[in-house]
Formats: sequence, structure tokens, C-alpha cells
Amino acid sequence: MSLKGFIIRRTIYIVPVMLGITLMNFTLINVSPGDPVIVRLGLIHCDHDDCYNAAYNGEAIEMGLLDRDYYTIPWFKRYVSFVNDLLHFDLGKSWYYTQAGEGIPIAKIISDRAIYTVVLNVLAFFFSLLLATAIGVVSATRQNSFWDRSLTIAMLLGYSMPLFWLAKLLMLLSFQLFNFTGVANKDAFKTPLFLNPNFYKYLILPTLALTLGGLVFMARLVRSQLLEILRQDYITTAKAKGLDNRAVIYKHAFRNGLLPIVTIIGNSLPGLLAGSVMIESVFGWPGLGTVFLEGALFRDYPMMMATNTIFPLLFLVARLLTDITYVFIDPRIRY
Amino acid sequence: MATAEQEQTGEFLLDEKTLREIETMKGAGQWSIVWRRIKKDKMGMLGLYIVLFLILMAFSSWILLGFDNWLTSQGYLLGDPLNPRSFNNLYIELWLPGMPADSPLVLFQHPRHHFPELAKLPPSFKHPFGTDGIGHDMVSRIFFGATVSLALGFIGQMTTVIIGTFLGSIAGFYGGAIDDILQRVIELLYSMPGFILMIFIIVLFEDVNIPGGRYAVVVIFFSLIGWGGTALIVRSNFFSLKQQDFVEAERALGASDMRIIFKHILPNSLAPLIIIVTLGIANTIFLFAALAFFGFGDPNAVSWGDDLNKWQNELLYFPWMPMFPALFIFFTVLGFNLLGDALRDALDPRLKD
Repeated sequence: MSLKGFIIRRTIYIVPVMLGITLMNFTLINVSPGDPVIVRLGLIHCDHDDCYNAAYNGEAIEMGLLDRDYYTIPWFKRYVSFVNDLLHFDLGKSWYYTQAGEGIPIAKIISDRAIYTVVLNVLAFFFSLLLATAIGVVSATRQNSFWDRSLTIAMLLGYSMPLFWLAKLLMLLSFQLFNFTGVANKDAFKTPLFLNPNFYKYLILPTLALTLGGLVFMARLVRSQLLEILRQDYITTAKAKGLDNRAVIYKHAFRNGLLPIVTIIGNSLPGLLAGSVMIESVFGWPGLGTVFLEGALFRDYPMMMATNTIFPLLFLVARLLTDITYVFIDPRIRY
Repeated sequence: MATAEQEQTGEFLLDEKTLREIETMKGAGQWSIVWRRIKKDKMGMLGLYIVLFLILMAFSSWILLGFDNWLTSQGYLLGDPLNPRSFNNLYIELWLPGMPADSPLVLFQHPRHHFPELAKLPPSFKHPFGTDGIGHDMVSRIFFGATVSLALGFIGQMTTVIIGTFLGSIAGFYGGAIDDILQRVIELLYSMPGFILMIFIIVLFEDVNIPGGRYAVVVIFFSLIGWGGTALIVRSNFFSLKQQDFVEAERALGASDMRIIFKHILPNSLAPLIIIVTLGIANTIFLFAALAFFGFGDPNAVSWGDDLNKWQNELLYFPWMPMFPALFIFFTVLGFNLLGDALRDALDPRLKD
């Protein structure tokens, strides 16, 4: 089978998994107790029953639970229409984020806010990858030295520290040192965004926190992988040939250590995203994570449904990319 | 070439060491060997002490809070006759031998009772961890919060492991269609980031009224969605073990499938299960603390995560309020991680760096 066939097959494979996930979310919403219409109507005050019933029915029709003749629509029809909307990138309207009494379309919220999350995550991913590689190489090549021991202990402590608390501690530290909490305010997001110095100022602390969070996972991994490879015979051969230490590590050891590292990095991308939900919320960074958490706190069902569809999709795409990267890195892999 | 020489001598020394190790372990059972290996691991022992200390704390706080009336009536806990508060069990007092019976040592306040006049006190001799925004003593909150925080981690992880072991062993033993279905389900569950899926479920099932409150719902759903990893590991273990001769022999003797699974294969895959439980408890406690921190816990419960959520915004001016619950969450996760790493090295030395 060709590489192209492999990629196409793996891409098509995402479809049934996504269907399963949306079905599961849909079932969860349907079996959960409480009437979503009543949740939605919480703010409406009516003096008598007629008004309330009219509001209830109108809301239920708008939500797609009742049809025009006030008959209940069976759940599988609602599921089909949900999937149909999804295929047209129509994620419904938010209940919590409103503008002039109307819910803002979720697709619009997401496309507006995605840039913040992307900037934060790309920066943090890049820095943590770089630092993790450096730390891993230093630790593995000088095994059991003072540096290795202190770095291992530091990684272990960081690994056990809850990420949200790490962010809070950074905030406290920065407050004590510079009287700057890093909690984002309106100044930071004046357009044009990338020419705004305040944007970068408020970006520092969230990026630092997220970098540290990703770093501790990756550095442990790079170290153990490199150690395993440095013990192999062909490394001894390379050293026996009189090769420079640097060449042995970067040309011989590192390339073979890359494969398992790529796996974990691919699998840790969604973890990074979940981490960015926490970090964004702590620093009030207006990305997708904050939107999602606020929506969830105020029981914004369409928003939660949308996030719970998007995050698994991102995960599946990340895994697909990982699998494709494998093929390019390791010629032994047959697909 | 110094490194190559060192490596060689290192290997030689290791051989000698291994030989000596084998000599001392002659006739010892598997578990005593594991125990000896853990005892040599300093970090592992530190983890073990942390875990034991926390378990002791959780147990004693559960007994003190649940049975304080009974303990007082039996004379193990004394109330101060001059202090009306102590009769209502707003203080939990301990009588230490050698101290006068009428002035017992006030160890803890009742975790649910607060004294508004004592709010926002910094750490002092009387309140070693300070008091919180409405006058709870933080030491008492942390001591009594240990019960819920640890129990959630234990119960959540144990149920996932039991479900995962059961399903994984059936899939691994029988294979075929059951295995295929299970793999697809695991794939589905694995595609959802746990933290986000848990928030989704907690919000949907907020109104469920079952005994145990909101945390019972959280634990039930956590165990329903979290068993995938265990099931995969148990399954692969079963695949490799069911081909072995001892299983064949047992089958030739006419043993039933259930007997083979539970008496022969499962005990042989105990080592990875122990590692999963220990490292998993750390992750579970962290997950529940994170949920509570972001407001998806039970605000009425006495637990570290909920205290952290309540006082997180006081960090800049009253840092002791959220700091101590967070510190204890950190210690718990650290302890279980250290112990889990040591157990992994001891149970499966091939994995050791």
C-alpha cells in the first residue's frame, strides 16, 4: 500500500470515531436529569401560567425539542439534524454569550477567540520542546552527575505540582517582584494585536506557566529515551571510531530516540490544550479555554456540546499527524 | 575513551552486585525481594512515608469527626467543662497522658464551625496555618479535608482498575468480537480529554440526587470513563500469558475459564496493576483537585480542592489561605508518584534506567 493510501485510510478512520463521540455526548445530554428548557428559561419571569407555557413552548421549538405542532421530536432525528448542522459548521448559538439579546453563533466565538489560544499554545509548545530537549540531553549524557540529579528532582517536583497552582504561584511571585499579576485586561487586546506591546507583556506569564507544564512531561521522556539508546552497541561503535561526543549524541543517538518522543508529543498535544484551559482561566486569557470554562459554569449546553466535539477532533488530528510523522522519521515502519 | 572504560567497569561491578543480590535473596519470596528493593530506594521510601502519613491522617480525621460523641462518652476525648463550645464539639480536644484532665489540649476545631472574630489571622502558634476568610482554623480544615481528598482518589482509582481489569481480562482471554468491541469503545473514550469530558458530565448531572452528594456522581462517572488504560494493559498481558505452558497444563486438567483467569493469569499480571493503582491515585487526586479548583467540586464538602477554590483569589494578600491546601495536594501527588516510580523499578527492574 502506498503512503497516500495510508494517509487517506487513517483520515477516513476519524469519521466513525467522531460519530461515536458525538453520539455519546448526545446520549449524555439526553439522559441527564433536568429539563434544558427550564435551565434556559431561568431568567424569564412570568406572572401566570399561559405566558410561561408560551415561553416554554417557543423556547423548546427554537431548541429543536418540539416541532411546530408541539410534538416531541424523537432523539435520533435530533441527532441526525445535529450532525447535519455540524457538517455545515453550524454549532448553534451560545446561551451565555449574548449580544443584543441574541446568542452569538458559537462558530463565530470560536473563530474570534482561537487566535489567542493558538498563539499561547504554539509559543509554549515550542519553548517546552526546546527546553525539554536541552534538559534531557544534559541529564542523559551526564547521568548521575550533580546536574542530572538536581534536574531530575526538579522535574519530579514540577511533575507533581498541579498546573493551575504553578500558574498561581508564578502570579504570586511576579506580584511580589514586579507588582504585576499578569491577569489580562482590556489594554492587552487592542487591535492591531501583534503591534500592541501590552499583548506581549500579558502573554509572558501564561506562556511561562504552560511551558513549565509541558516541559516536565517531555524532559522526563527525552531523558529516559536517550539513556536507553546510549546503552546500545552501535553507540559504543560510534565512540570507538573516535567520533566526537557531540556527533555521537546528535547524529546517532538522538535520531533514533526521536520516534518514541514523537509519539508522546503527539499524544501530549491534547494534554497541552487541556492545560491551556487551566492556564487561560487562571490568567483570564480570553482564549477558547476561558470561553469553555465560563460557558460550562453557566450551563451553556450548545457551547459545551461544541467544545466536546472540537477537542476530540483536535486530538484525533494530532494522532493522525503523529502517525504520519512516524512514517517519515522511521523508514522501518510499514504501513 | 574514558566513558567506554567506565561503562565496562560499571557493567562488571553491576554483575558482582547482582550476584551478591542473588545470594542474599536465595529462598526469599517475590514480595520480600520487592520490599528489599524498595527499601534501598531512598526516594521511594520518602514516598512511602508521605503516603503512610497521609493515610494515617485521613483515617484518624475520619474517626475523630465521625465518632467524636462516642469517643467523648467513652472518655477518650475530653471536653473542657468551663468552655461551652467544647461541649458542643466545636473543638475536638485530645487528652494526653500527664496533662491535667480539666485543661485538655485543644487540637482541632470542628471543620464546619467557624468563629467570625478569628477570620483572616496569619499563621501563629495557636493557628499554625492561619485562619481563613470566615474564621475556620486552616489546620483543622486540612486535617479533616484529608478524608474526602484521599478517599476520592482511592475509590475513584480502585473502581476504574476493577472495571478495567475485569473487561480487559475478558477481552484478552476470549479475544474475537468481544475484544474488537472493547477496543473500539476504548478508542472512543481515549479521544476525549479527561478534564474536559469530566466538566461536561458534572455540569449535565449537577441535579442528580444520590447519597454522597456531587462527589459521588463525579466518582461514578470517572470510573465509567476512566477504565480504558487499565483494560488495555491487562488485555495485552493476558494475550502473552494465555499462550504459556502453565495455562495449557491447567486447561488439560479440566479447569474452568473463570478459574484460569482469576487463579492463574490474573495473579501473574498483578505487578502492572499495582503500578497503575499507585500512579493512578496521584493522577486521580490531581484531576479531582483541578475540577474543584475551577468550581466543579462540591462547595459544601470539606476537602483540599474546595478550600483551594474558595480562597484562590486571596492568594496575593492572604497567601496562607490557599497555600496550605495546595501544598497538601502537592505532597499527596508527590508521595504517590515517588512510591509508584519505586514500585515500578522494584517490580519490573528491566524498566529501570
